[in-house]
Amino acid sequence: MALRLVGVCATWFVASLCALSAIAAGTHYAPIDLATLAAPTPALQLTLGLSPLAAPFLMLLALLAVPVGAWSLRRGRPIDAALIAGFTLAMLLVLLARTVVAFFFAWEAMSLISALLIAAHHERRSVRRATFVYLAVTQTGAACVLVALALLAMWAGDASFTAIGRAAATLPPMLRDAVFALALLGFGSKAGLLPLHFWLPRAHPVAPAHASALLSGAMLKVALYGLLLVTLELAAPGPAVWGMVLIAIGTVSALGGVLYAVVDHDLKRLLAYSSVENVGIIVVGIGLALLARSLGNVELAALALTAALFHAINHGLFKGLLFLGADAVADSEGTTDLERLGGLWGHLVWTAPLFLVGCAAIAGLPPFNGFASEWMTFRSLVGALPGRGDAFVKLVLSASIAGLALTSGLAAACFVKVFGVAFLGRPRRSRSAPRRERFASSTPALGLLAALCTLFGIAPPLVVSPLDHVAVAAVGAAPTPLPSLPLLPGTLVALPLAGAMLAAALAARRGIRRVPTWTCGSPVTTSAQYTATAFSKPLRTIFAFALLPERQRVVEAGISPWFPLGIRYRTESRYLVDEAARRFAATMLRLTRRARALQSGSLRIYLAYAVAAVILVVVVAR
Amino acid sequence: MLEAMQVLAIIALAPLVHGAMKRLRARLQGRPGPSAVQPYRDLAKLWGKEAVLPEGASIVTTCSPGLSLGVALAFAAVLPFVRSGAASIVDVIALTFLLGLGRFALALAALDTRSAFAGMAASREMTFASLVEPALLIALLGGSALGHGPSVASLRMAPFGLAGALAFGAFFLVLLAETARVPIDNQETHYELTMVHEGLVLEYAGWQLAMLQWAAHIRQLSFLLLAALLLPGGFSPWMTIGWVAALAGAITLVETMFAKLRLFEVPQLLVTAFILAVTSIGLRLFGAPL
Repeated sequence: MALRLVGVCATWFVASLCALSAIAAGTHYAPIDLATLAAPTPALQLTLGLSPLAAPFLMLLALLAVPVGAWSLRRGRPIDAALIAGFTLAMLLVLLARTVVAFFFAWEAMSLISALLIAAHHERRSVRRATFVYLAVTQTGAACVLVALALLAMWAGDASFTAIGRAAATLPPMLRDAVFALALLGFGSKAGLLPLHFWLPRAHPVAPAHASALLSGAMLKVALYGLLLVTLELAAPGPAVWGMVLIAIGTVSALGGVLYAVVDHDLKRLLAYSSVENVGIIVVGIGLALLARSLGNVELAALALTAALFHAINHGLFKGLLFLGADAVADSEGTTDLERLGGLWGHLVWTAPLFLVGCAAIAGLPPFNGFASEWMTFRSLVGALPGRGDAFVKLVLSASIAGLALTSGLAAACFVKVFGVAFLGRPRRSRSAPRRERFASSTPALGLLAALCTLFGIAPPLVVSPLDHVAVAAVGAAPTPLPSLPLLPGTLVALPLAGAMLAAALAARRGIRRVPTWTCGSPVTTSAQYTATAFSKPLRTIFAFALLPERQRVVEAGISPWFPLGIRYRTESRYLVDEAARRFAATMLRLTRRARALQSGSLRIYLAYAVAAVILVVVVAR
Repeated sequence: MLEAMQVLAIIALAPLVHGAMKRLRARLQGRPGPSAVQPYRDLAKLWGKEAVLPEGASIVTTCSPGLSLGVALAFAAVLPFVRSGAASIVDVIALTFLLGLGRFALALAALDTRSAFAGMAASREMTFASLVEPALLIALLGGSALGHGPSVASLRMAPFGLAGALAFGAFFLVLLAETARVPIDNQETHYELTMVHEGLVLEYAGWQLAMLQWAAHIRQLSFLLLAALLLPGGFSPWMTIGWVAALAGAITLVETMFAKLRLFEVPQLLVTAFILAVTSIGLRLFGAPL
């Protein structure tokens, strides 16, 4: 108990540090250094400082760490509470780091502590495997990040971010692009962008819920901060191509992530895929900001960057809410498999309405925060259409608008499935009357996140105006009036809300007669309800080219095949990207197996190799 | 004030438009058909009847007819026929998301009823909606004057031309899907397996069904008005009425001449709409002379 309390208090303390530094950083226009730890050589100096670009991420971390800390008061292992505090601190340090070495140390601490969190239930094989995959991806990514930062530091002759940023203008184009590619690889794999997303759906279902909430809600955003840091400060200004690449990758990630999510039936894995989608949307915003900046339209760049930062904060909030809610579901039902959940609305009386807020927010419905930021992203994309840029740029922008529109439609379908199947309807497993959820210390944690999702949706200027300040500082534009966002949700939501209240009032006054569901006269059974797999069937068929679904049907027939005794049905998606990766890995394994013939173990052969090598060296050197 | 009058006019006339379309379709099919004012009688009758819902259905099911009606009213309010504040604030993007809100509530209610038919309808509705959404958004962007921003009011300013015609074509296909018309859905069917929109509201009765039907009528008329805006001169009063009548006739004709598409052929139709819309936006951007 003592360890748990210390952990929670430490988390809250770090959260207050985050909030303070966010406020301090957000009020500046340029980065400032706070404290430097002297080192034997200047290259090894550890400097912490405040940069306006980090302010939104610090704020998100503060907003998320408070409810996550409250959550770990009652749930999870005691050691997890302490790890959460350490994880939050590591992320804080990444955001404050102002030298290459400090950044890299904090980055590695963040990766390793999160790996410890993922490995919480390491007695299970799947958990060990997920942790291993995560470590492999994250360490490869870290290597890319380190090389990128080291290249920049070598060019600047100094390892502090301030000096690197000052020297950035003179970077040769080749080096600049190499740094961008490495940063994209390193930060993109951490953020879960599409070809490198595969650790996310493995790690999230096995990690404890509060760890998932922080991983998905905050750590992916810290990776995006890294990308912003490199593209907007350390290696800025980039060519238009960077923006185009990011818009393309972001759109593909958004679409791919949501397609995977819509056909998945494990609640936590589905949420992980949906993180891939949302990171994609944020990256589209970042890409557009870079593109607009390189084309000289700084107002638009500021708008796009504001949209991206706003969506990053919003995604952190609603994804935190959904992951914590999923844990409440797992706690009560013992599973997160949508095929076995149902009718939770009846007894999860606290979680269910708050989870609905999260679902509506992530589906981008007004008046919640997801709508506000997705709308801003669309608005900035549309704003870029009539501006400068050649036909190819316009084509990419149009494709991105269409892709994001499809994404938001699919996300709505996905979360109708999640909420409708798991929370509404009738319980799918016959249980003796399920226990009614009681108010616990985890409930206010969910309530706080849901309240923030609603507040930021109803009053976006609360967040958008400080973010605009940051974005303006980052892209070097003059402050511009924001589009008519403040009035928008009110206009859109007043009438629907009034209608819903009218319907509820009428129902209370006139009464509603309750009858069994109409099933054409046959008995009402639980198994007649639509399942998650059935719900996503049309989409699985339409997008079969990308999802590569496979199905297996086993019919147990008795006397006649027309009167089966039982039917077992299994369906699974192989996914185009994963299949390509699998093929690649299999080919590589086959090639290495062939290469094994070289390593015969015979000393004479090795001597022959050495002689051949010497001859080759002599021939080449001559 | 003017906005309120616009909404009231749409509320009042929406059932009539629906009734007239129904009657026209019956005449085209050689039946006498119900009178054009029949929808008013239906609504009045349903309004007087008690609501019946499945046992254990939650508050989501109770509230969603009202929410759906509210969304339809908000849609009617943002149409830019009068000088209104709402139309200049709300853009076509927000409009698309607004329509999504109503659909989300109805689909959840359908899953809440525990009926297999309603669940199937919810699945199909959300599938079609996700495919319609990009086509709708791009068609409206193609139909708006991009230089003035994508607000609904800017639909009035865009010049008609080849780009406008293509945007209209795309929008017409979207219109068929959104108003649950024949090549995509069938309002008149009595066979639950073929229902999409009707299946969604299968478990509702009485005054709740009246709310839903009225909402559907209002949405239909609003979509027709939006389509009229994409046509030349669509915002002057007489032209609007003419275009709405012509469009209603065209839809009825389509319903009479074509059979319902198989479920998995619908995406092809929607992809066609999408390609038309993208072509339109391309022409708009690169200044087609036509």
